[in-house]
Amino acid sequence: MDHSKEPTLTLLASTEFQPEKYVKHLSQNYVGGSELQAIRKKIQALSEDTNNNLKKNVYQNYGQFIDTAKEISHLESEMYQLSHLLSEQKSLLNSLASTSLMGDNSNLTRNKERSEEKIIEEQKQKTQSILEKVEGCKDVLDIPGRTFLHEGDLLELDSLENKPIKPVHVYLFNDGFMITSRNSNSRGLMKYKFEVMYELGSLAVVNVRDLGDVKHAFKLLIFPETRIFQCSSNSNKKDWLDKFDQAKKNQLSQDVQRRESIIERSPSRTTIESGIHSTLSESEDDLVIITHPEWFLDLPEELDVGVAQRHFEEAITLLQKGKDYMSQLGLPNAKTDHVLIDIQRKLDMRQSSLTEVLMKELEINPDKSLQGGLRAARRAVRLLNQLGRSTQSCDLFLKLCSSMLKIQCKRVKREGSTSTYIRHLSSVVFTNMCHMTDEFLRAFPESSVCASAYIVWASSELSSFSAHFIKQVFVPQTSLATITECVFLVKTQCERLCNYGIDLCYQLDGALLTPLTKALTDTRDKLIDSVKVRALEDKWIPTNFHTKNGLSRCLNEHREMGLQLDSYVTGDIWLQLTQNTIAFTKVFLALLECCLRLKTTELLYTVDTVLYEIYGAQLKHYELTLKKDLQKEERQFIIKNTEFLLVTLYNLIQRKYTKSNGFECKTFAKVQIDYAALMKICLGNRNIKTKYSSEFL
Amino acid sequence: MAKKPAVQTALHKVIMVGSGGVGKSALTLQFMYDEFVENYEPTKADSYRKKVLLDGEDVQIDILDTAGQEDYAAIRDNYFRSGEGFLCIFSITEDESFQATQEFREQILRVKNDENIPFLLVGNKSDLQDKRKVTFQEASDRANKWGVPYVETSAKTREHVDKVFYDLMREIRARKMEENKTNNGRGKDKNKKKKLKCVIL
Repeated sequence: MDHSKEPTLTLLASTEFQPEKYVKHLSQNYVGGSELQAIRKKIQALSEDTNNNLKKNVYQNYGQFIDTAKEISHLESEMYQLSHLLSEQKSLLNSLASTSLMGDNSNLTRNKERSEEKIIEEQKQKTQSILEKVEGCKDVLDIPGRTFLHEGDLLELDSLENKPIKPVHVYLFNDGFMITSRNSNSRGLMKYKFEVMYELGSLAVVNVRDLGDVKHAFKLLIFPETRIFQCSSNSNKKDWLDKFDQAKKNQLSQDVQRRESIIERSPSRTTIESGIHSTLSESEDDLVIITHPEWFLDLPEELDVGVAQRHFEEAITLLQKGKDYMSQLGLPNAKTDHVLIDIQRKLDMRQSSLTEVLMKELEINPDKSLQGGLRAARRAVRLLNQLGRSTQSCDLFLKLCSSMLKIQCKRVKREGSTSTYIRHLSSVVFTNMCHMTDEFLRAFPESSVCASAYIVWASSELSSFSAHFIKQVFVPQTSLATITECVFLVKTQCERLCNYGIDLCYQLDGALLTPLTKALTDTRDKLIDSVKVRALEDKWIPTNFHTKNGLSRCLNEHREMGLQLDSYVTGDIWLQLTQNTIAFTKVFLALLECCLRLKTTELLYTVDTVLYEIYGAQLKHYELTLKKDLQKEERQFIIKNTEFLLVTLYNLIQRKYTKSNGFECKTFAKVQIDYAALMKICLGNRNIKTKYSSEFL
Repeated sequence: MAKKPAVQTALHKVIMVGSGGVGKSALTLQFMYDEFVENYEPTKADSYRKKVLLDGEDVQIDILDTAGQEDYAAIRDNYFRSGEGFLCIFSITEDESFQATQEFREQILRVKNDENIPFLLVGNKSDLQDKRKVTFQEASDRANKWGVPYVETSAKTREHVDKVFYDLMREIRARKMEENKTNNGRGKDKNKKKKLKCVIL
């Protein structure tokens, strides 16, 4: 039995299925009615199945169809609702448009403002549609502020004989009247052909009284020609005349408005009126009325709020915006537009008040804490700069700096040694000045006027500081070493400012020159005195250090100063130099150290003389002693000391001096010349000394 | 219109000027329709045309009745330009309207730029003698100064109504003929000799 021939849905539904062939095949294969009947039953069952399926499908589809239909009716009703809403909106807008045309704005003003944009939008669309309909009117319609008012079909008549000439389609704009005629050679979108555009201001409209066959007509007097147009009905004509009249009146009222002062009105009211006028009304003058954007007209109020709430940045941004806007409009408008003038005046007032407030922010007030420091002033300074008041802000800023500096200085207590105090004070002063310079450069970049003001300020601050410094440091009880240290400290601090390009060191040097000179001469006197005192007490004996350690400590000390005293050592604890010599060496080297640290070009002369004179005083003592009658050994000893001073120490001093200045001290060199006799003795002694040493050994 | 210039009737354009309420429209309507309108309604700008017989000649008169109200003052220029002759009306019962004629005169001369434009000074409401504020002498003095005729009318009684229109039309016609002459002939005589008014009271 061929299974493939069993009747199944797939078999019957297949495309190659041929009923006749199939039946033939069946009758060939199956013998006997019972088998055939069984087959038939099967086929019948199949057919019933299919029927059922079909019904089910139909039903299903039908259900879907009903759903769809419901959906569609739903959508339809929604569409109706939508169109209803739209028409409502439209009528609302129309009524708004007409109310605003009356120039009456009571409680409707808000809505009007809102609808203004929509009206503009409508105007745009209208213009677009005219552009599509009328050929060759692009240039005419491309004028900003021109708004469409009315259009219609008219019949032009001969002005003399009152005979019809041609039908025309005309458009009335707020500032002009456009005549177009039927476009014969193009059918389609461009129905009309642009003929002429008349300025509203140059034409006069005259109602033509109905006479004879001429009815519903009006005239346009456009010098020198006159054109007559016939309307379809009297009401149509009335419409046209009214529209013309309204356009003319609006234009007139605008002129009047422009002339009238509007000071008494509040700016916001002016806003609305001028806005509506310029969008809806008609101007035909050469001057196009400009609709000021709302934000611009609200500007003065906004600025007030900004200042009151201390939103200075916003206020300034607004101010700038307003100014930009005004400058964009240019001068010609600024003279004619009262709204503009009014707002400009108000803006100027606001600006000055804003400036005042900001200046107050920067002013120094005993009640106000300066805790915030300069950082707190940043904002006000920046804003003032934006307002173009950088000179004032710079002035205030520097005053603020001064007072802050003063306060900071007061906080530094005079405790401990002078040098500690000075170290602290100068660090405070110059650190602050550095900060201020930082802030200043941040606040007033690239402003030469301010920069020079800053230099003047810095210099005056430095003067007051140096005055204070001199008072504190240059008192009789302060040693030169302390002074030197203090001066050195201040100088280092002062150099910090050089990093900002402000070199005040020369000024500091200048301020310190006199007191330093005095300090040096004082020191000289003091030292010469002490030299004399020591000379009186000089016993001319080698120094006894009592212990080996004491000697080696002394040797080390001198080695550090650059002196090799080993050759002067005798025995374990003796040094072949007097106490006086050693003391003098120490003092003098300390003085030299100070002098070299202090030295400036201006001070050099004093330094040189001071060194020379003190040294001379000491040598004088040696010379005097040598002139006395002395034992040979004692003489040798003195000569040794003298030689130490004249040669060894001298060389060291010159070495140090040269190292610091780059040249030898000529004044000091005079020492050797002055005491040439001593030198000779010393040099003579050198030979003897060798002898003596060998003897000694 | 160039087709049959012979048949073409002459068109004289007359403009009524004057302050509001002096009776410009009343005069015009009386002239046009022989009726007096009592109720007053301010005019914006109305135009009338009528065929009349002027000294045996068919002519058309085009009357432009303008608005007297001040608020139209700024756009009067456009109307005045089209006029060939002017009837400057005032009310003899209102001095202000008489004073205003000075201004109208000046404006017309400025717009037309022509000292000799056909022009009539018209004192209306002559029927209201008891309310007269402007004396005849005053008005005619002013007219003399301008070199124009002065006529007193009454739109109500129709006194001198036709006269002012016809007189003005004659002046216009004379003026046109003179101009034609100078244009056709070699009359380069530009400053036309002052054509004396042809009508005297």
